[in-house]
Amino acid sequence: MAVVELPSFVRQDGREKVTGTARYSADLSTPGLLHAAVRLGGVAHARIRGIETARARALPGVVAIVTQADVPDLRYGTWVRDRTLFASDAIRWEGEIVAMVAATTEAIAREAAALIELDLEPLPPVVDLEAAIAPGAPLVHPGWAAYDGDARIPREGNVGSRHTIVKGDAEAALAGAPVVVRERYVADGSHALPIEPRAITAEWQGDRVTIQTSSQVPYLARTHVASTLGMPEGKVRVIVPHLGGGFGGKCEGHFEPHVAALARIARRPVRLAFDRREEFLAPDHHRERMVIDLATGVDHDGTILARSARILIDNGAYGADEPYLAQLAAVFAVGPYRIPAVATESLVVYTTTQPTGSVRGPVAPQVTWAVEQHMDVVAERLGIDPLELRRRNILVEGDEGPVRQRIGANGAKTALERAAEMIGWGRPLPADEAIGIATGWWPSFPGPSGAVVKLNADGSGTIVTGAQECGTGSVMALPILAAEVLGMRPEEFTLLYQDTDAGGWDAGASGSQTTFNNGRAVVSAATELRERLLALAAERLEANPADLELTDGVARVKGSPEAAIPIAELAAEAQGGRLLIADGSGDPPAVPEVDAGGCVGRLGGESFAAPCYFTQAVRVRVDRATGVVRVLEVAAAHESGTIVNPIGAEGQVLGGIVMGIGQALTEGTQLTPDGRQRNADMLDYKLVTAADAPPMRVEFVQVPDPNAGPRGLKGVAEPPAVPTPGAIANAIARAAGTRIRLLPMTAERVWADLADVEAGR
Amino acid sequence: MSRYLAPAGLEEALVALAGGARPVAGGTDLVVGVRQGRFPIPDDLVAIHRLAGFRGIAEGADGGLVIGAGTSHAEIVAHPRVTRDWTGLADASAIVGSPATRATGTLGGNVANASPAADTVAPLLCADAVIVCRSTAGERRLPLDGFATAPRRTLLRPDELIVAVELPAPAPGSASCYVRLEHRRQMEIAIVGAGALLRLEGGRVTAARVAMTALAPTVRRVPEAERILLGSDGGAAAVTAAAEAVAAAATPIDDTRASAAYRRAMAAVVTRRAIGGALARARGETVTIPASDTLFGAA
Repeated sequence: MAVVELPSFVRQDGREKVTGTARYSADLSTPGLLHAAVRLGGVAHARIRGIETARARALPGVVAIVTQADVPDLRYGTWVRDRTLFASDAIRWEGEIVAMVAATTEAIAREAAALIELDLEPLPPVVDLEAAIAPGAPLVHPGWAAYDGDARIPREGNVGSRHTIVKGDAEAALAGAPVVVRERYVADGSHALPIEPRAITAEWQGDRVTIQTSSQVPYLARTHVASTLGMPEGKVRVIVPHLGGGFGGKCEGHFEPHVAALARIARRPVRLAFDRREEFLAPDHHRERMVIDLATGVDHDGTILARSARILIDNGAYGADEPYLAQLAAVFAVGPYRIPAVATESLVVYTTTQPTGSVRGPVAPQVTWAVEQHMDVVAERLGIDPLELRRRNILVEGDEGPVRQRIGANGAKTALERAAEMIGWGRPLPADEAIGIATGWWPSFPGPSGAVVKLNADGSGTIVTGAQECGTGSVMALPILAAEVLGMRPEEFTLLYQDTDAGGWDAGASGSQTTFNNGRAVVSAATELRERLLALAAERLEANPADLELTDGVARVKGSPEAAIPIAELAAEAQGGRLLIADGSGDPPAVPEVDAGGCVGRLGGESFAAPCYFTQAVRVRVDRATGVVRVLEVAAAHESGTIVNPIGAEGQVLGGIVMGIGQALTEGTQLTPDGRQRNADMLDYKLVTAADAPPMRVEFVQVPDPNAGPRGLKGVAEPPAVPTPGAIANAIARAAGTRIRLLPMTAERVWADLADVEAGR
Repeated sequence: MSRYLAPAGLEEALVALAGGARPVAGGTDLVVGVRQGRFPIPDDLVAIHRLAGFRGIAEGADGGLVIGAGTSHAEIVAHPRVTRDWTGLADASAIVGSPATRATGTLGGNVANASPAADTVAPLLCADAVIVCRSTAGERRLPLDGFATAPRRTLLRPDELIVAVELPAPAPGSASCYVRLEHRRQMEIAIVGAGALLRLEGGRVTAARVAMTALAPTVRRVPEAERILLGSDGGAAAVTAAAEAVAAAATPIDDTRASAAYRRAMAAVVTRRAIGGALARARGETVTIPASDTLFGAA
């Protein structure tokens, strides 16, 4: 199959976004629209004795107020049903929603929300992860035992779930290892922080509600609405206008049911649009705080003999997708290395802070930051070059993985060596500069997904897909796959997406899965159309369909270009009879077989289907007097299977690197002792900007994997954010002569460590 | 609902101010402050950014400079006299906020806002700047030193408008520099900063100005540091002692951006670099604007 050349591939949504004509959720208006405002808890932990809305209701312009008393008494939660739509018995984090007001203007709604009186009895905050699991710690959910939950998840006290990866006898192997390194790393939380704060509009027609929302996962949002409001999914339509970024923070359902409930009470359409502070505090998704303990036993020649780990992961006040992610964390604690004895454990810990959940490559950046620093420490201890240590232990074809899965052909070692070559590993540098390297892996997530492809009478195509575009361009690239199957050009396809009434089901813009799964659906549908076109052409050309091909917009006999019919002619003919329309889903690729005996809290996928392997190398300069670190150069080598859309793939890597620089150096959720966020604004929560972006070089290593998606592709969105903090950490350690075991590695933390070194502490 | 007045000339603007309106030029502090809830949006706004003579840089008869209060940071850093003779101001104007902030934000606004972290104020203090204020009652010329009285408080009366900032001619052999600690390269606010102006004659420092940013309730000069430098040879010992004097004079706060201990330590670092940069320039060496970036990693 020919590779589609893309010298000038233009995203269909690009012009609108660049010229400012694209309409986002908060831009929408409809007659009679009311404006909503939220009342958040404002305290980290308190019992609710009463909620008084009378003064708020009395404010002129207020139309409706909704609290838990106005919605079905149903608990929800992906893995444990630990939550209700609104806080009613207790407030468990400062951003927890207590009530929502609809009024004729946003200002009135906000004023009314502030007038709602909460009668609160303070409860002890639960913030520190170790203290939270200590005996006698105050419980975040005293009634947790009664919550419905996934039976596979062990939970106890403030431990919301526990997951282990066990292979061999790690403790015995550590005891017998010639060299053992034990370390602790601690990571602060951070935020997805899309430029677009979320906005949701709900409008009822009879018993059916249409919700326009800035969601990465419209079908999951639909399920969330239906399950929490006690109505059939068929009565809920979710539409996503242009989405101003998500980075995982808009995965899962969020406030769609709240706005729908409010609109039903108000009997008018209602729109909620968060301000920046609310976007920081209220979503039940931010990147996890962690305490990571690692121990590695190694032979003098650098052969890793054993790895044990315990990772405490902040769950926050309520469980989102953290149990599943925690299982991944226990795998990431092993790293993409050949280790015969493994005992890693992750505990998801309830605290009275903002719930955590998927943010671009969830759990992996922090764990990889720790593991890859740990690898460098092991190398230092052994006197082995860190690159060489990785080279000796990295997973290659035929190796046994952490759950005894057989590792297939992969580009891990090639990516490792390429990144090192690209950056000039080992070259002389000024005293305040150094190069660091980090490697990692990230699974593909096979799953169901649907799409419809149809050909119009003029020969153009339309793809109707359930996949959601979150800015990565993955949906925008679907025409490439369809065009390739049908011998057409990508720009001949229009896209209809982000409407749950239109496309087939899809898991949404999460887990780097769009091209992987929905690409398969599009190829499946296009392949059916291809067969129909060939059959039509075979009749006209009086040829065997097997002798025909679709190429350059025509159906023709292979080897006889003159015997050709334009696809448009066939499509026009079909319009007079059976239409050229096909749906596709296809069978998700397999997950490798596992032997996970001894593993606890298994939720599936721990053997990592079609993993991406990657290495990034960075050169940094450390300002020793101030602790400020600048990243001067990045080299990234990624094995993400076949690259279908080179422009889009490279863009994802560049963006992931820059996001990783922010996570590494400046982005961190700062908490007060009682667990409220101190820096919930963009002045004090420091994203890095384009000005901080160093020169970056990207290379893709392409290795076939039988479990990959169509054309051998894998996801590409999350992996680039994974190794960046670890690579920067290792570079800092070499340049500064001190290792920073706190994330983010802020200037002040680097400075404090340097001051300790100079003071001989 | 606020009212927005676009006056035809300065007098009309001053009348509006006398009637209780508040001025808006670039709006980079006003809009952000309102959105953060620090203050309500004023009932009456008078737009001053298009007033004739309010924007632009003129050379004074004595070799000094008169910078219209409505001049943007981007315009200041693009002016050849500023980049030649008031390099400290250029260092500061080049790094205020982001490119968008510098295109819109004005020098008058930065002075009037009286933020303890205002970047342009330290170099203006070093340059002995004079603030020209106008009201319907006439003109007042106030030294910048002492103009800010507390965070977001100045000697400016409610009916007065800053119309210009005057900079006297720099003495021969003098040069200035401004350095701020920044954790990212754009959209940054000074965590700490320092401005310095030194005059070198025959290897001796014959004039010295040192001012510190984000280290006290207002951006202010540090006479203790100036005294140490005055009469010295500008060598490492004097520079270090002056930098330590700034650290000692600082009353830094603990906040989300930095701890007080870190700020105090960094006060010495940025002061050392600012003095070093000013001395280098006084000796005729090039320290590329903005100095904060050039001196990254310096001693």
